[in-house]
Amino acid sequence: MAGLELRGIRKDYGGTAVLKGIDLSIADGEFVVFVGPSGCGKSTLLRVIAGLETVTAGDIHIDGTEVTRTAASDRGLAMVFQSYALYPHMTVSQNMSFALENMGIAKAEISSRVDRAARMLRLTDYLQRKPAALSGGQRQRVAIGRAIVRDPKIFLFDEPLSNLDAELRVATRKELAALHAEIGGTMIYVTHDQVEAMTLADRIVVLNGGRIEQIGTPLDLYNRPANLFVAGFIGSPRMNLLPTELVRGEAAGDVTGRAATLGIRPEHVEPCQEAEADLTVRIDLVEQLGGETFLYATGPNDTPLTIRCDGQSRLVRGDLLPVRFSRDHLHRFDAAGLACRPEPLLARSHS
Amino acid sequence: MTDTIRSHGAPARGPSAAAAVTTGSANALMRLTDPPMRAVQRLIGASRMPYVFLLPNLVFFGLFVFLPIGINIVFSVTGGTALFPSERPYVGAEHYARLLDCGSYLEAASCREDLFWRGVGNTLTFTVFQMVAMVLFSLVTALVLNRPIRGRGFFRAVYFFPVLLSPVVVALIWKWILQRDGLLNAVLTTAGGEKILFFVDPGWAMFWAVFVSVWAHMGFYTLILLAGLQAIPRDVYEAAEMDGTRPWRVFHRITLPLLWPNLLVVLVLVLIRSVQVFDEVFVLTGGGPGTATMMVVQYIYTTAFANQVQNFGLAGAASVLLGAVLFVLTLIQLFLTRRRAS
Repeated sequence: MAGLELRGIRKDYGGTAVLKGIDLSIADGEFVVFVGPSGCGKSTLLRVIAGLETVTAGDIHIDGTEVTRTAASDRGLAMVFQSYALYPHMTVSQNMSFALENMGIAKAEISSRVDRAARMLRLTDYLQRKPAALSGGQRQRVAIGRAIVRDPKIFLFDEPLSNLDAELRVATRKELAALHAEIGGTMIYVTHDQVEAMTLADRIVVLNGGRIEQIGTPLDLYNRPANLFVAGFIGSPRMNLLPTELVRGEAAGDVTGRAATLGIRPEHVEPCQEAEADLTVRIDLVEQLGGETFLYATGPNDTPLTIRCDGQSRLVRGDLLPVRFSRDHLHRFDAAGLACRPEPLLARSHS
Repeated sequence: MTDTIRSHGAPARGPSAAAAVTTGSANALMRLTDPPMRAVQRLIGASRMPYVFLLPNLVFFGLFVFLPIGINIVFSVTGGTALFPSERPYVGAEHYARLLDCGSYLEAASCREDLFWRGVGNTLTFTVFQMVAMVLFSLVTALVLNRPIRGRGFFRAVYFFPVLLSPVVVALIWKWILQRDGLLNAVLTTAGGEKILFFVDPGWAMFWAVFVSVWAHMGFYTLILLAGLQAIPRDVYEAAEMDGTRPWRVFHRITLPLLWPNLLVVLVLVLIRSVQVFDEVFVLTGGGPGTATMMVVQYIYTTAFANQVQNFGLAGAASVLLGAVLFVLTLIQLFLTRRRAS
């Protein structure tokens, strides 16, 4: 296994810059997730690392060796594609052994590696089947198996779960986490699903418009978003972002200065008495999930506000609800959208 | 319904105006055909209505395909020179027996109808060489045109263009190039070489018959193979690249197996066309020199229409035999196509 270093990576398609200078270090054995909205450049970055795309500028180092212009096959990486990219005319066994045959590895060794990977991924009974005779989850496991047998320096995953249904996605996500714990390899994983990012990653890289917005552990990003984009992107439902002038009372006094926008996550908005309210909102939609309830409401100037309540709620559409923001969890952002550090503001003042 | 009325009442603007005109015309046509269709449906019942829609094409098909086949079979079992079947005496399988009467099927001269067997031999030779050349050149062209080369669209059009030409036109163009005082010989003599009498030498004549046929039809088969190549997911090639697969191994382990269904269709189509070949070769070489490029269909044509004594019966029997071969080949094609679809 190996670490990876990207220095000033740029990628242009014609006159369009897709990656605008990416600097990133990934440690040996780390599970890093690239996350971001569609078109942010996360898949392109992965393909650049894989060697399937050339860079316009910048250097790529794997294990201290520069590989910027090295062919994909010589970088020692393995990639799991979104579409699985299995060879449809080959059996599972042939799919998994194909790369090893290319390397000229002895048949006995190939057989041993394929059997080991098949056992690990519970594919032993399917080795003689062709991909068309497998379910989506099984195909995905074959794609992972194909990567494992090569014993690569780094595993690359390009939205590997996006073609699976919700239930299978959760199951495969757990399997991936277990796999990382078992083989301990360096893994780079691209997804637009932040739940996958939060649950799998040692560190998350948030990309937007070809630039890195923030790098950090999942909880770092959740608790201390560096800017409005990360604040809005990480967390589901997304963080409430309110202009400071909408907020009355004590909270408003706390956020004077540079702050232009206040951020508060739905679970940190609390229904309260009118007298101690920061805002009074009108309920637009109530989502009862049994164990918790999401209230989608509108504040002054039609500002949307999402509230998460434990348990079940009797509120209905049209109700007016005074709410208060948890003082320990307020985030504030300046006019440029950058977090006013240190964060959260009131946690510091309370402590 | 309400939406339709609204859209009719709406002011005509841009593309929606064109759409409204189209919808209006379609509605007017429907209103015109609706009453008679309803009357027919009342008369024969809804379950028989599909046959009413099939009828025009079936009549056309019956008149110009099934009826000639039937007449041809009648001709093949009747004798004489009369044109009307009612005036032709029944001879049973006499024509078939005459065609199949051979000392050795490998020796045309030993056959009673030696010209027929020379035609069969020439058609076989033509078919083998044409199939190999056609598949090979179509495949190579498709592989090249599938790559991101400069002017790819232009070259795709250029290779397809001959397909649009009439076979007679193609043959006349090449005849003009290849004849004794043709373009190619002019180039050869200008370069200091000697004239080659392409249509006098049997080998050259067959070579050019195959060449011209490949040149004229290659674009069509290239298109089929190109569609097959483009249907292979790019991800599979990228996976192969990540797996460190060398280009030749990519071709024979990935491309060829995944292209095989298309290749099979091309093989069968080329085979069927080769067996039927007539117009290009006839116009190009006239079947010569001697009978060196005379194909089975030319034999049928000559026997029925070009000889002084027109033997419709013998030509009909040869047609039926050729039809049987084509029927078997078509069945193979259908079987392969359906297996591929399933």
